[in-house]
Amino acid sequence: MNWNEMESAWNRQVPPGAAGTDVKALIETFEARRRKLAANLLWRDLREAGAGLVGAAVLGYLGLHRGPGFRTCLLAIAPMLGVTAFFILERIRAHRERPGFDAPLLTKLEADLAELRHQRRLLSSVGTWYLAPLGAGIAAMLAALYFSLPGPVRERGLVYFAGCLAATALLFWGVWALNRRAVRKGVEPAIIELERLRDQFSQR
Amino acid sequence: MSRNPVNEALFKQWLDSHKGIIFKATWSFAHTPADAADLRQEILLQLWNSIPAYKGAARESTWIYRVCLNTALSWRRNANRRTARIDPEADLGGIAAGAASPADDAAHREMLEKLYGAIHALGDLDRVLVLLMLDGLAYREMAEITGQTENSVGVALTRARKRLAAIMKGVTDELE
Repeated sequence: MNWNEMESAWNRQVPPGAAGTDVKALIETFEARRRKLAANLLWRDLREAGAGLVGAAVLGYLGLHRGPGFRTCLLAIAPMLGVTAFFILERIRAHRERPGFDAPLLTKLEADLAELRHQRRLLSSVGTWYLAPLGAGIAAMLAALYFSLPGPVRERGLVYFAGCLAATALLFWGVWALNRRAVRKGVEPAIIELERLRDQFSQR
Repeated sequence: MSRNPVNEALFKQWLDSHKGIIFKATWSFAHTPADAADLRQEILLQLWNSIPAYKGAARESTWIYRVCLNTALSWRRNANRRTARIDPEADLGGIAAGAASPADDAAHREMLEKLYGAIHALGDLDRVLVLLMLDGLAYREMAEITGQTENSVGVALTRARKRLAAIMKGVTDELE
């Protein structure tokens, strides 16, 4: 086989056309997929941004209406709102115009790589921007609840509150570990693969 | 995306006029009929999604090559993560089936299967460039699709041709 024969064989291919494809049904499928994806993303955004808002509202209510012992809860409102603000800013960033599938391959590769590196930064620093503010809010609430108890009950409740704190810490450690694992097993290998491909495309 | 008749007509026209690009890009990255069906669906979805952004600045074929190849590269990365490695016993029967025409004969099918087999053994960039070369694109068009300079395309394509020749030599000694 030589190049000419190879090119001839390649060009003699007769691909199936759109004649057998129900284009309307296909488009309906794509649109249904798009609507489902949009709904899922909206629900995720509301959930993520809403968690901080609900937390801040609960802390605000406790701080303002449950007596001086609960005032410490007010301190944790700002970090809670900070989490919400972070999610909103992140969503705005994500929705900004990015190269689509119609971009030149190298441009798309570099954009995908930048996005993956951003994901790695977010997942690696989840303790700072997510767990720490939420943890501060939960700790403030538990501390306020504990110190609002009458003396004799407070002594008996110490183990209970310590247990709550420990369970929260364990849960947060689990979230942190899952994020670290996602970086190690998913994001890092994807970045290495994309960097290798990008280097191939960038070679002079 | 608004589902208007103009977009639908353009989509249908793309499927008819550029079916060859879609077919060849699909089979250059997919190894089995099931994979090919999956990738084709993904390519068609991205083509449909890209229509609102198509303002006619780029040639239709350039646009479609970009969408097909970007989708195929992305699909392959995801497929690689789903299955650790590509099935070495790739089922290329779908290529012959897809290519079947009255003029096709066993030798032609066999040649195509060997060619696709060799293309599958190439790296991603080589695979892209070989596909574009076999489709008869000029360096300038390849550069527009890949985002490389024409010089880079020339250098990379020379390497890709050598690699393809080396692989095909394993199949037949007649390839120069």
